[in-house]
Amino acid sequence: MSRETVMSYINVFAVLKNMEELVRVDAASKELIKDKDMSIQFTVNKGPKAVLTFRNGEAQLTRGGGKAGIKLYFFSPDHFNKMMDGKANPVPYKGLTKISFLTGTFMKLAERLEYYLRPDEDKLRDSAYFKANTEMTAYAAFFALSEIGNRDEKALHSTAAIPDGKILVKVENGPAVTVIKENGILRTEKGEPESPRCILSFSSLESAHLVLNGKLDTYTALATGQMAMRGFIPMIENMNPILDQVAEYLQ
Amino acid sequence: MIETKEEAKLNTYENSQELFKRAVKVIPTGIPGHLGPVQSQFIPTSDFPFYAERAEGSYFWDLDGNKFIDYMCAYGPNVLGYNNPVVDKAAFDQFKKGNCMALPGKVQVEFAELLVDTIEGADWAMFMKNGGDATSFALMIARAATGRKKLVRIKGGYHGVAPWTQVDGHAGVVSEDISNNLFMEWNDAEAFERLISDYPGQIAGLIATPYDHRIFTDNALPKPGYWQKIRQLCTDNGIVLIIDDVRCGFRLDMGGSAKYFGFEPDLACYCKALANGYNISSVVGKDSLRDAASKVFYTGSYWSSAVPMAAGIACINELKRIDGPRLMIEKGEKLTAGLKKTAEANGIDLVISGVPSMFYMRIANDNSLMMHQEFCAECAKRGVFFVSHHNHFINCSLSDEDIAKTLEVAEEAFRIVKKNNPDKCN
Repeated sequence: MSRETVMSYINVFAVLKNMEELVRVDAASKELIKDKDMSIQFTVNKGPKAVLTFRNGEAQLTRGGGKAGIKLYFFSPDHFNKMMDGKANPVPYKGLTKISFLTGTFMKLAERLEYYLRPDEDKLRDSAYFKANTEMTAYAAFFALSEIGNRDEKALHSTAAIPDGKILVKVENGPAVTVIKENGILRTEKGEPESPRCILSFSSLESAHLVLNGKLDTYTALATGQMAMRGFIPMIENMNPILDQVAEYLQ
Repeated sequence: MIETKEEAKLNTYENSQELFKRAVKVIPTGIPGHLGPVQSQFIPTSDFPFYAERAEGSYFWDLDGNKFIDYMCAYGPNVLGYNNPVVDKAAFDQFKKGNCMALPGKVQVEFAELLVDTIEGADWAMFMKNGGDATSFALMIARAATGRKKLVRIKGGYHGVAPWTQVDGHAGVVSEDISNNLFMEWNDAEAFERLISDYPGQIAGLIATPYDHRIFTDNALPKPGYWQKIRQLCTDNGIVLIIDDVRCGFRLDMGGSAKYFGFEPDLACYCKALANGYNISSVVGKDSLRDAASKVFYTGSYWSSAVPMAAGIACINELKRIDGPRLMIEKGEKLTAGLKKTAEANGIDLVISGVPSMFYMRIANDNSLMMHQEFCAECAKRGVFFVSHHNHFINCSLSDEDIAKTLEVAEEAFRIVKKNNPDKCN
């Protein structure tokens, strides 16, 4: 699968997926969708398909097609990626009367998402921003991990070597994601499973922020206890090369 | 209040941790390779020392003054006991005469003669520095001798860190490095037959350890007749049979681990226990490969150093004198039987596999290894150095008192693991 195609999956299922968090933690975004009941389907030719739904003040991204007020078509993964970079427009083929949601509310949400995913030192001094940025960065990274692990040719070797089971990645007293290897496929879910086979943990949100933003190397973090791992280590060892690729894709 | 054992003073590692903080500033990963705290052997890292201050016999002392009974034995090289006086005297005597010189010392010939006399089927020996040097050299000999490219390996087998030994997707490895590797499952001679049939006339060699002792899995001895079948297939098809005896060598049999399992390889690679910690490795081989070994250009700055060769001669002779392999197997049997019994008494299913002088162990009450990691950490805090997932090593200086002390610590550690995991214990 081409790099562009893998990137389109990451953009949908890791970056756009963060709309779920955005409307949960960001008051301005919450306000924007508080009375909205709208779904947007993204269909990428030879690429991903998903529906993003805003309802009851919440957002949810689901895989595949479904009922949607607005349906957008993209000629290629490259077309979709360019849209995500603000360099191309989608082709709406359903919901033309609702296009104002797309050009208004959705565009503003996209700007808020970018605001949270592109930190600078000034913004990071605000503790709420710091927390939101770290959590969203973590979600983006670990949801991207599954998309890369299932599609990128180089990553497929590492995915195949990950034993079956659940890898819990968590911040102590903070957010958690679970990377699940089952039937040869990786998938990421939010939250802690009952019986993880392996745990990769950050001692604090600060530690997670430093590592996820490349300000602290994992070796130092592991040795100083800012990161820790336990359980069936081959799961993490084989996940790590994919995690390295996440940084390459998302940089 | 009377202090209970569990509340007694446990090891702490402030000095190790401080030095590590300095190290990560100037050395990538702080401690490169498998001895470092980030190589997932030390879980949690806070319960293990990072640096050793000194060592003697079966023990090492860390920077914080904690003493450990060492079941890693420097990951193998400590075979007679640290600072063995016989080996050290031979090394120091040679040191006074000369070590790294413009020409090799006489000891190079003497050491080669000793290995040829000691290892069954060996007609010649060549020397290098690390196990990985030896396996890479052996592969080149196989290719030089056969004019073929492919190498058959056992899935999950470890033969060092040269690019050809690694897997695609890992840092610094490109697919061309590993494109000539073919893989088969351990103990599956039929799979080897299929590979021979699928790649007719293309396989230069098969490389494997004498028994399967990879990490994270129970170690597995060869099935009856397995090696004999592999030997025959190699002979019939002009394939060079390479035994990587780097880890097991001289812990199973002085004649080589292949002798222990009743077959003869074409090439065998040795390192860890060759010189009781002095840096040297060797490839030994059959006459039929002498010419190919001569042709391969393979060398290194320190490959002719005389001190490790003098140490190696003394080490091999001392191991022969005391029948080291038998001694280590007996001590390993005593230790592992005790560990199993102690575990069982605490409702813990301790699985021990491999040859007792180089045993692998894991707690099987869950499939995550978390209980096992807890156990190793509790032992480390009490001065018994087991790491979370690697085979362990016995050395000849291990005493009955050391084993008794180990079992005492293990009993306490198992009790704590049981207390922390009541629903998982039998």
